[in-house]
Amino acid sequence: MIFIAGTLSASLHAMPRKPEGKRSAPQQQAAPSPVLAAMSAELDRTMPILSNAAPPAYFVDYTLSQVRAAEVMGSNGALLNSSENLQRFLEVRMHVGSYALDNTHKVGAGGSVYQPSPYTPVPVEDDAAVLRRAIWLETDRQYRAAAEALVKIQTSKEVQATSPEEGVPDFSREQPHTYIGAEATLHLDRKPWEQKVRDYTAYFRQSRDVLNSIITFTAQANNQYEVNSEGTKVQFGLVRYRLEIFIQGKAPDGMDLDRYYNFDWVDPKDQPTDEAVYAAEKTMVAELVALGKAPLGEPFAGPTLLTGRAAAVFFHEVFGHRDEGFRQKDASEGQTFAKKVGQQIMPSFISIIDDPTMTRLNKDVLLGYYPFDDEGIPSEHVVLVDHGILKNFEMSRQPLKDFPHSNGHGRRQIGAQPISRQGNLIVESSKAVSNAELRKMFIEEIKKQGKPYGILIDDLEGGFTFTGRGQPQAFQLEALVVYKVYPDGRPDELIRGVDIGGTPLVSLTNIIATGDTTEVFNGYCGAESGSVPVAAAAPMMLLSGLELQKKAASTDKPPMLPPPAHEHDQPGVKQ
Amino acid sequence: MKSIAMLFRSIAICSALLCVGLAGTLRAQQWPSETADQTLKAMHDELERSRQGLQSSEGEKPYFIQYRLLDLDARTITASFGALISSTATHNRFMDVNIRLGSYQLDSSNFISGAPFVGFLGSAGQVGVDGDYNSLRQDLWLATDQAYKEAVTSMGQKQGFLRSLSKPPEVADFSQEKPVSEVDPRVVPDWTNRNWEEEAKQATAAVRAFSELYAARITYTLIYETYYVMNTEGTQVRKSRTLAAIEASIETQAPDGVPMHDFYATYASRPAGLPSAAEVAHQLQTRATRMMMIRAADPMPAYSGPVLFEPRAAASLLSQMLAASVSGSRPPLSMIPAVDEIMEELGGRSEWSGRLGTRVLPAGTSLWDDPGAANAQGDPLPGSYAIDDEGVPAQKVNIVEGGMLRNFLMSRRPGPDSAQSNGHGRNVYLGDPRTASSNLFFQSSDAIPPADLKKKFLDLCKQDGRQWCLLVHEMDNPEVGISHSQDSQDELRSIVEGVSSGERAPLVVYRVNVADGTEQLLRPGHLLGMNLRTLRDAVGIGNDATLFSYIQSQQQEIAGTALAAFGTATNGVPSTVTSPSILFDDVEGREARGQMRKLPLVPPPPMPPKQ
Repeated sequence: MIFIAGTLSASLHAMPRKPEGKRSAPQQQAAPSPVLAAMSAELDRTMPILSNAAPPAYFVDYTLSQVRAAEVMGSNGALLNSSENLQRFLEVRMHVGSYALDNTHKVGAGGSVYQPSPYTPVPVEDDAAVLRRAIWLETDRQYRAAAEALVKIQTSKEVQATSPEEGVPDFSREQPHTYIGAEATLHLDRKPWEQKVRDYTAYFRQSRDVLNSIITFTAQANNQYEVNSEGTKVQFGLVRYRLEIFIQGKAPDGMDLDRYYNFDWVDPKDQPTDEAVYAAEKTMVAELVALGKAPLGEPFAGPTLLTGRAAAVFFHEVFGHRDEGFRQKDASEGQTFAKKVGQQIMPSFISIIDDPTMTRLNKDVLLGYYPFDDEGIPSEHVVLVDHGILKNFEMSRQPLKDFPHSNGHGRRQIGAQPISRQGNLIVESSKAVSNAELRKMFIEEIKKQGKPYGILIDDLEGGFTFTGRGQPQAFQLEALVVYKVYPDGRPDELIRGVDIGGTPLVSLTNIIATGDTTEVFNGYCGAESGSVPVAAAAPMMLLSGLELQKKAASTDKPPMLPPPAHEHDQPGVKQ
Repeated sequence: MKSIAMLFRSIAICSALLCVGLAGTLRAQQWPSETADQTLKAMHDELERSRQGLQSSEGEKPYFIQYRLLDLDARTITASFGALISSTATHNRFMDVNIRLGSYQLDSSNFISGAPFVGFLGSAGQVGVDGDYNSLRQDLWLATDQAYKEAVTSMGQKQGFLRSLSKPPEVADFSQEKPVSEVDPRVVPDWTNRNWEEEAKQATAAVRAFSELYAARITYTLIYETYYVMNTEGTQVRKSRTLAAIEASIETQAPDGVPMHDFYATYASRPAGLPSAAEVAHQLQTRATRMMMIRAADPMPAYSGPVLFEPRAAASLLSQMLAASVSGSRPPLSMIPAVDEIMEELGGRSEWSGRLGTRVLPAGTSLWDDPGAANAQGDPLPGSYAIDDEGVPAQKVNIVEGGMLRNFLMSRRPGPDSAQSNGHGRNVYLGDPRTASSNLFFQSSDAIPPADLKKKFLDLCKQDGRQWCLLVHEMDNPEVGISHSQDSQDELRSIVEGVSSGERAPLVVYRVNVADGTEQLLRPGHLLGMNLRTLRDAVGIGNDATLFSYIQSQQQEIAGTALAAFGTATNGVPSTVTSPSILFDDVEGREARGQMRKLPLVPPPPMPPKQ
């Protein structure tokens, strides 16, 4: 499998060394929505019949997602669009057979036989009869698909070789949960944002190096309602606001250059000020201009210093995805960590947790917060690595031999089947030195290895990690801001055109020490179950070795004519 | 090269009037007025700069640059069984830049390569809705640069491919047309004072009483567009167009497990032209009642004999059979053989190419296309327009006269039989304009009243010694009629398998008793071998011409094929076919290949009347 976290994007804020997390336990009780009653009524009617059918349905789950989303986009000084929509989507999850063997069972390396349909739009008004008609129709559709899949699985099992995880159930048995949380609402005046995106993008017209700019403001109030045949009944709402800034340029040789920055907040009063936005834009332009002038990097292996947010992306890709529970079971997966529980997989000063119950880390919002996962399981603080030793996986309801239960990490984008995913991945270090001290250690390491320079990685766009068999067990991180750091005291030199590559088991053991300031990266991560909001947090990190490789080159040269707004500029004079 | 600047002055003078004129050879001038349309001004200024500035290191300049811009205001309202599913209102603007290198005879277009140029932004995209001059210039500048690089890449690949052919095509790549200037006043969206959400709910609430109805869905689509075309030949057009659509589907399952559906679709040239909620509710109730009868009816058995198509069914059949053959434009050259094969399989091959002057339809019949046609009240038909999407004035085209093929519909892509456009280049959402019909009319000088035609039909059946014959009342459109995309795709696939050999899917079919003329509903099957040769040999045509409006899909691969008749309001161009009843003396039919599904184990939940 390839994970493309290309949309993974960061916001950087420095913090003191000891991260102070704020957790939110689900405890608030509010009024249940009428949709819960409608879903329960239909479930009560359905289960007695389908559980006695052949094959029997032993687990049915109804999830209704209500999404109120506003989006305001601007580009190059003009408003692109501004809209707000309300939609409701129904997902029916059907398990036939038994917990031990059901329609979701994967056969050999061929993967899943069961292909459920993604989602059904249902009324945005609480008309129970219409909702129930839609649930009934979709339940029938899913039951037929699941029953057909189970027959195929039972036939295939007779001819397929068994794997070590073969005796493990297909689905975990869990305690039911009842939680009625407050529903999220959105009261947004888009008009001020329409002017802001115009003004914020008009700023970039001052620079002839910024070829294109796009700013997107989104506000979402999502409510999730879920009932299942085990007795779970959950309702909760989340509000998220996001401002994304993206600019594109080209180096003189045609290489694509871009800079990206985002602000995330959940409370309207935390909206970024104009000053903060313009300050970010100023930095972005400066970096884009500098990248245009920067020389091309060359393939290199040697000491590497990752800033906090680069380290956060590094751990998300290199460790986080490989520690997703279902990958340890799937015969088509590389199963990097499957047999490593209890073993040292990285230096003993590193510990990693994934904690979706955290809403904030110091002042930073954590995008990977959720009270319940998409399988109705409460989110949990999970210690994945304790002092270098692998302890646990991010678990959904697909159990493993030694991990028979979910730890609240079954996640999905609406319409996809939940699988184990990351929430808030937080890297902690017991061998932290000040960032200044770490830089000294970095210089020493360059000298010790006799290298002409080391590599400082300040920003990563995201990356891929290959976890499937038949592929190299490697990762590639798309580097955006990379410097050569010379041991002789010369100024750091910005370079462009390089990505970072490596293999996970080696890279993780190459960590020498960390800084003392944790940085947060908020983004949207894409994998088999779609795009989900995540956060990763880590301090600055020194590695004895990582590899730089050349980036795939773009084919088109810079525009032939000068920008219309800068047609009469003096050559070489930047405005 | 002609300058287009003067044309802008005429816009300023008669901005509130319809101005049609031809551009002369004019000198570049300053933009005349600060209050003029900043969109046109930005398009003009960047077009002029590109025309002067873009050239290769060898000094070669594009011979043609065209900017198109679409301002799109759209409302979409969906409801089911009286409850609102969604209601959206959007306003967006899109641009597209086309650059041609070479000459009208041989240029960089009309070529499908395996490796097109992929730039960092592309030559089309979304632009600001403000009509902001500076941002639009910036966007057009980048898109122009990308379009130029696309053209350079395509030209190189095309020249290489042509050298590998023993006989390169002789047909020119692009037609030369007179420039046109027509700047219509911008139309401000008028959604009327009707409450569309309430209407959508009311219309579908009416079918709650049908307890066996699995699904019922209605979508109102209201679209206001302003379309801009400007090119280096001197054409500049700003025109508005409106489309209002109601598309509704109802679905159930027969007792033997076969999925069933029916639909209602109506298209108007403006929202106020749409029928009332009460009328739509009545239409849906009628269809639901009919579907319940069909559900209990016998399946259509294997059949071979006379078939009578009533006017709406005949019109839909014509829209499927004629889509590929009325176009005289040649298909693009392709390095990928699969592209031609797909077109062939989907019924996209012209049966009339190279047959000008020969009889292609029954003697006495005429077929013409009139983009300027209006209805009895004087309102334009949904498929009407004055200037096509390539900026060419629309012409009425007599395609067949007295059964003889006289002419083709043409866009600016020439074909073996015709080199000039007659204003039939159409597109949706700034896709490549393709040759398409607008308002097609089919009639016969030997037409007879419907009662006489039915008698003729029954006489034919008697001659065959048959006890009953088939009458087709309505043809299917699975894209509109089935709400679940997976089911709709399954149904389409069952049609696609036979579409190139003329397999067609009726929706409402009657068994007509030869002895007494009584009609009995059947579960529809498929009709086979219904291509233009079948139409040429039709044995009777009525004088009961009826207008049928539909959307011609412009989706890639489907546009221009028989399947394009299955468009929906958001993927194609509004079109009409006016046809009378048509009688065929020998058509084969067979039971549909529909999948028999198990009936739901759980009975449907109650659906009380709407409070």
